Amino acid sequence: MSPPEVHHLFHNPIVDHSFSADQSTLAVTRETTVELYSKVGDAFKLKDELKGHDKTVTSVDIAPQSGRIVTCSQDRNALVWEPSPTGYKPTLVLLRINRAATFVRWSPSETKFAVGSGDRVIAVCYFEEENDWWVSKHLKKPIRSTITSVAWHPNSVLLAAGSTDAHARVLSSFIKGVDPRPPAGVWGERLPFNTVCGEYLNNSAGWVHSVAFSPSGDSLAFAAHDSSITVVYPTGPDQPPRAVVTISSQMLPFKSLLWSAEDEIIAAGYDCEAFRFQGSEAGWQLTGTIESKGRPGLEQREESALNMFRQMDLKGKAKDDTQLKTVHQNTVTMIRPYETSGDRVTKFSSSGVDGRVVIWSA
Amino acid sequence: MSIIQQHTSATLSDAWRTINIDALTEDSSLNFDTSTLHPPQPEISEAEVRQLAGQVRQLLRGGDPEGALRGCLETPVYNGEDAAKDAHMQTIIEVLQSIKASDMSPLLKSIYGTEGGSECLDVLMKYIYKGMAAVHPGNASRSPTKDASQGFSQVGGRPGANEPATAAMSVLLSWHEKVVEVAGLGCIGRTMTDCRRV
Amino acid sequence: MSQSLRPYLQCVRSSLTAALTLSNFASQTAERHNVPEIEAQSSPEVLLTPLTIARNENERVLIEPSINSVRISIKIKQADEIEHILVHKFTRFLTQRAESFFILRRKPIKGYDITFLITNFHTEEMLKHKLVDFIIQFMEEVDKEISEMKLFFD
Repeated sequence: MSPPEVHHLFHNPIVDHSFSADQSTLAVTRETTVELYSKVGDAFKLKDELKGHDKTVTSVDIAPQSGRIVTCSQDRNALVWEPSPTGYKPTLVLLRINRAATFVRWSPSETKFAVGSGDRVIAVCYFEEENDWWVSKHLKKPIRSTITSVAWHPNSVLLAAGSTDAHARVLSSFIKGVDPRPPAGVWGERLPFNTVCGEYLNNSAGWVHSVAFSPSGDSLAFAAHDSSITVVYPTGPDQPPRAVVTISSQMLPFKSLLWSAEDEIIAAGYDCEAFRFQGSEAGWQLTGTIESKGRPGLEQREESALNMFRQMDLKGKAKDDTQLKTVHQNTVTMIRPYETSGDRVTKFSSSGVDGRVVIWSA
Repeated sequence: MSIIQQHTSATLSDAWRTINIDALTEDSSLNFDTSTLHPPQPEISEAEVRQLAGQVRQLLRGGDPEGALRGCLETPVYNGEDAAKDAHMQTIIEVLQSIKASDMSPLLKSIYGTEGGSECLDVLMKYIYKGMAAVHPGNASRSPTKDASQGFSQVGGRPGANEPATAAMSVLLSWHEKVVEVAGLGCIGRTMTDCRRV
Repeated sequence: MSQSLRPYLQCVRSSLTAALTLSNFASQTAERHNVPEIEAQSSPEVLLTPLTIARNENERVLIEPSINSVRISIKIKQADEIEHILVHKFTRFLTQRAESFFILRRKPIKGYDITFLITNFHTEEMLKHKLVDFIIQFMEEVDKEISEMKLFFD
């Protein structure tokens, strides 16, 4: 297993990052801008800045085929950045929301994207040729609080959303004229816009930080603030799911998760490192951390025994350390697949509040 | 009504300034009903709690502290009168106090390892915090003059460690530490997120 | 060092570490605003159950967590009238200089002597475990400080 590739870009939080399909361009959020880095040798060099928002940028996503970049911000707007020979050209999206836009993702078909918001709606956006404009349709019901994250089903119609009302939901975002009619599946047969295909809540509640469909799209995982990961296996339309597996972990909450395979989930968050979960319908387990322990260059400082005992006695802690033992020095905000082989994710990337982007072998 | 308002002493007062108009809008975020964040819980009466307390004491006397602790943690009073909630807390504190310090960790590990054990420790954590929140100043048995003389000789002089409240707290604090060792910080997190409050 | 201080501080430490899991969260009530939700109290679902940690009836810590901010209030031990006055003077001295302490709240919560307000912007800029260390250190120093001042006073 190769060591993680660490890129310390700056000293601001990165809330979201996205690589282009050929991995030559990296887009990261930095306060009110999005910075584009390109790979020069082993390092990433700042290439361009996308300035168009006037409040904190909350999310960024690069469409793999078209290369279009979509960004959204707490200023209530989303922008689509079209690549052109003279740089990226922004187009404002008609979101029609009055609160912060919190999360954005392109659908796999790249004809739509979904923007989560603090306005208790998800704006499903698509391009309207006759008006030459990105317009949106709102998924409203039954969302009752801020949307924290969204994730697309491989069919580009179903959308999973996590919210601070502690629910993870699966909704239909079918738009006539844009989407081909999806085949019937475990989530439902007929899927008109805003069909609620599933609504899930943990016993100990806690807002949902991250949602993701499994590679096949037949199960859903979500991470909540109660330090849990829940995996849902639906049976079919209008029936209760055949299994809902919740793992209440000993860790701090996870901010982001991804499926590396149908039987494996990787999650990272407030513990500043990524963990691996394995399982199936019968049950899931936390199998360990992704980081290999005892990396070079991070040796513990020697301390006098007196000082050590004094610390233990006075402050109730064992050692005094400024640097964390993990690669990320602050909360991991987002993890994304970086490299896949077959249907397994072999590498993934993570971004953190510490301004680092790290590429890991899964 | 005319557009020009009639100024009465009532409208001239500034009481209206303190009205939170957001609360009057039905779909305002202020009116989020947090009771919808958990399924309805069965109501437990004080009599049931007392009955359970009797059984738990019997288990304790019979030398089965684990069974006693499990017994009270499996039926937390989420929905009930304050009297029932308080009585259940008393039962749990009684069990906690009767378990030797050296038995805490093995007992917790054994509970955690069983089916539903993690949930039990989450409940225990809720009761530990409830127990600590229940101590109010005022039931203190100290007199200022007495302490004044003590504070003299003892740097950082405190009310004597043998006071009942201090002793009870120190039991809860050591249980807290042991629960975190077994169930991790996630357990504290769940105490905060869970809307089923004890 | 008193025997029961270590478990007390340990409990505060673990509770704080669990509570300081903050996110950047924009207000749901006010457009284009981003305020500490624990102060605004305008969205009940983003406020969590408050935790109390007590060492005895005179020494308590209240942790009020929310999605983007945490309030930590400390009741400092006051054994007598003199200590009461000293604590009052001491906390007043600090709160008047609140801006240089970043996380200090100008006004303590009712029933407590001093309150800290930590937001997601603090946990983004500073190391979380160092913030926790600071609170713990403050708790032990303030005890010592008050006792020393009292000796001086006598």
